[in-house]
Amino acid sequence: MAPPPATFERRVLRSAAGHHYLRVRLELPDGGARPNAAQLKQLVVAALRELHGEVGAALPVDVLTYEEKTLSAILRVVSSGFVKLWSALTLLGFYQNRRCAFRVLQFTCKSWRQS
Amino acid sequence: MVRFKNRYVLCQVVAEEPRGRPCIEERAVGSAVKDAIARAYGDYGLACCSGAGPAVKYLNAYTGTVLLRCRKDFYRLLCSALPLVRQLESRGLRCPCFLSTLHVGGTIRSCQKFLIQYNRRQLLTLLQNCTNEDERQRIRQSVLSCSLTEEQSHSGEEEEEEDEDDGTETD
Repeated sequence: MAPPPATFERRVLRSAAGHHYLRVRLELPDGGARPNAAQLKQLVVAALRELHGEVGAALPVDVLTYEEKTLSAILRVVSSGFVKLWSALTLLGFYQNRRCAFRVLQFTCKSWRQS
Repeated sequence: MVRFKNRYVLCQVVAEEPRGRPCIEERAVGSAVKDAIARAYGDYGLACCSGAGPAVKYLNAYTGTVLLRCRKDFYRLLCSALPLVRQLESRGLRCPCFLSTLHVGGTIRSCQKFLIQYNRRQLLTLLQNCTNEDERQRIRQSVLSCSLTEEQSHSGEEEEEEDEDDGTETD
């Protein structure tokens, strides 16, 4: 009996990738202020600064796309800072004194334009 | 089971003015280093260095020699944070200074050996730079004494001798 076809395809990149990409969603309590793109970037940098200090805050992180309606964004970071960014996002707990959380939906080291 | 490996960083406190020397205390140096790590590497860096601690293992306030200990995995983190120390603060007194790293060793003993050799070399440069005959004579004496008493004495005496010469040089 043949196994059911896989619903996803896994691709492994052998060579060192320049960047890693993260698709994240920000979870906020209802009725709170929603950040715009600049505030989201500031939030990410603040999270990095808290956990990894000035060195972490200096990492090149870009917000490539951001939808304010769904609060989902695609972040790009250089590969050496991928773990730092993810850990900082995980440990972020507050946005403007209200609870919040980042959910990482997907991550890839392939360019988002190709996918 | 493998033992935990440490790295010992030997550095020198270079104060801008000689009256900052009473500032050099174990607690002041420790907290200054800790602050520098916290600023540069955040909570993560602080936790990396606080297990075994950037513990101050040896401190000579007279020569300004400091020996710091950290885990082997994170000594790069400590070394890169050391230049960010800009002042020492103790009892409300603050003195601007910086830490220059002399040596990174695996044991306290290797750092001690390096320090003796380093101080001996410093004596020779002092001898070249000295201006009058009196200084020259005193440095010569201490060079002779530190090379003659090598077998019997240990580093402490040599350091003190070097300090005396330091004093005459700056006065």
